[in-house]
Amino acid sequence: YQHLKIYTQLIKYCFILHVNLHISIQLHVNTLAVDLADIISTVEFNHTGELLATGDKGGRVVIFQREPESKSEPFSQGEYNVYSTFQSHEPEFDYLKSLEIEEKINKIRWLPQQNAAHFLLSTNDKTIKLWKVSERDKRPEGYNLKDEEGRIKDITTVTSLQVPVLKPMDLMVEVSPRRVFANAHTYHVNSISVNSDYETYMSADDLRINLWHLDITDRSFNIVDIKPANMEDLTEVITAAEFHPHHCNLFVYSSSKGTLRLCDMREAALCDKHSKLFEEPEDPSARSFFSEIISSVSDVKFSHSGRYLLTRDYLTAKVWDLNMESKPLETYQVHDYLRSKLCSLYENDCIFDKFECAWNGSDSVIMTGAYNNFFRMFDRNTKRDVTLEASRESSKPRAVLKPRRVCAAGGKRRKDDISVDSLDFTKKILHTAWHPTENIIAIAATNNLYIFQDKLNSEMH
Amino acid sequence: MLGRGVKRKWSCLEELEAEEVPAAQRQRVLGLCLEKLQRYQAGMELSLRRSVLLINTLRQIQEDMRSDGAGACTADVLLNGVHPDSCLLRDDFREDMSVTCPGCAEDDGASLSLSPPLSPEFPSQEENVLPDQQKSLPASTISSFSDAVNAMGYLSDLALDDIFEDIDTSMYETSDLPSLRSPTHSSPASLQSCLMDLNELDHIMEILVKS
Repeated sequence: YQHLKIYTQLIKYCFILHVNLHISIQLHVNTLAVDLADIISTVEFNHTGELLATGDKGGRVVIFQREPESKSEPFSQGEYNVYSTFQSHEPEFDYLKSLEIEEKINKIRWLPQQNAAHFLLSTNDKTIKLWKVSERDKRPEGYNLKDEEGRIKDITTVTSLQVPVLKPMDLMVEVSPRRVFANAHTYHVNSISVNSDYETYMSADDLRINLWHLDITDRSFNIVDIKPANMEDLTEVITAAEFHPHHCNLFVYSSSKGTLRLCDMREAALCDKHSKLFEEPEDPSARSFFSEIISSVSDVKFSHSGRYLLTRDYLTAKVWDLNMESKPLETYQVHDYLRSKLCSLYENDCIFDKFECAWNGSDSVIMTGAYNNFFRMFDRNTKRDVTLEASRESSKPRAVLKPRRVCAAGGKRRKDDISVDSLDFTKKILHTAWHPTENIIAIAATNNLYIFQDKLNSEMH
Repeated sequence: MLGRGVKRKWSCLEELEAEEVPAAQRQRVLGLCLEKLQRYQAGMELSLRRSVLLINTLRQIQEDMRSDGAGACTADVLLNGVHPDSCLLRDDFREDMSVTCPGCAEDDGASLSLSPPLSPEFPSQEENVLPDQQKSLPASTISSFSDAVNAMGYLSDLALDDIFEDIDTSMYETSDLPSLRSPTHSSPASLQSCLMDLNELDHIMEILVKS
């Protein structure tokens, strides 16, 4: 539990920030020691939004819990504090391939809560683990045959019988591994998704998708396999996959060629043939050497309603209607000013960055990350968009988030605008999460986690 | 990746980007593609997504060059442009094919069966190992070069289970394997028998490349 030490250094700031989209937001910054292992690699709210889990490059999972409202501290409502920290994955070495298997947590998914305990799945490149997170605030005392430390008593000293009782004790959060789903992926696992039947989940790597039962670790069903017989013929990989939120037979996966495939498990056991293929025809005038790289889908998310799909590629976020395969319903430019810089972004490898995207609770706003610690929100109804910055330097505790504006080269530059040339491409927001019902968002900026909260929800307003 | 590109002079790059004519940009992208693929060879298991995207970009450049009516000469000119000394580039390739492979048997086996396009550049050694694969030589330099890159890109991603599949089969059909399997496929027979030769070849390559 050495890693716990890092979190004792937590510095907390609380900001109230104002967003153009009538969202004002509260922020905590949890600054961890700057270390590569601390870089946050995934963020995920549970189904109620009470818990928020982050995974990092060091294989750790940190769970935050939303504090209940307190009268003495009026601003504490909705604050998320560290609830539990544990080491989920350790670095391993693949002796057959002479390669290291990183401990980095690629994805975390919560299972719907069914009893007092919480369960979550975490995965690195190869191995998926099921963890149980439970609380204990009572301990049994007064056993007849063993003492307080659990040692068996000398039977001759037992002269009377007593009924053991539960005594209160300090709250303890226990995290225990329940299942390890290993040895099923040859390539790197990029997605896990729990099915709406609550019994199965899938895991996707670059070329295959497996279906698991949550109770069975020694067997999984391969439901998609796009590996060609000859690897020289390989031109496309799976980049993300997700189950439909309501129909347990439907799932979608995205590819490096910019397509989405909706599959129906009722049609066949092996879903190599998709039910629907979502693809936007290429604009020949915009064609360049980077066309394919920038159209590679880095994330796909079903809307809460199950009607729409949100995808992110390098420059845009797109909303697709499940009933329209020919083109996206809406296309949002995340940072179009980078279009002229693709060669440089290719040179410094930024063009391969995998940005994720998120829906708000009512499917009316979408959010996704960008460079320079900026993240973007798009209101689907009003078509308004805003650029916000997750940084301690530019914000004060409980301040209102100020919209930022990037000025494209040659454009008119206003005060406080930042020019494209001064964007910091090492500060990227890849992972974001939106509370399932409220306007609370979690933004992972390198090794910092920012939680912004809608001001309307807090007592301040 | 952190820190990469931080110190780059963006202004210079931009000017370049703005002024670049298509051919020059193509050449630059080509050079970067090769550089990236080579760089990834040495280290960790590279992301399959990234290598597929890089190699598709290379394929596209190849298409682009073909449609420009560029023959083998143009390809050579381009390659020369990327690296001042074209021999150096070829050496780099060989190095990647045979020396910087992480040393696992699977990879060596694959590079062996996929390497014929490169053999004309050093016939003496390779002919010994792959005498019957010379026929499969593509005519144009462009395609041989991109085939080589193809092979490189996926070497480190070669699926272990598939190799084992192959090896299992080989237990039952070792005698007639050479005739049954196509030379371009990673054949277990050659994998087994040529391992020794390959190690030797690696040493020779190392000496050749370093000298």
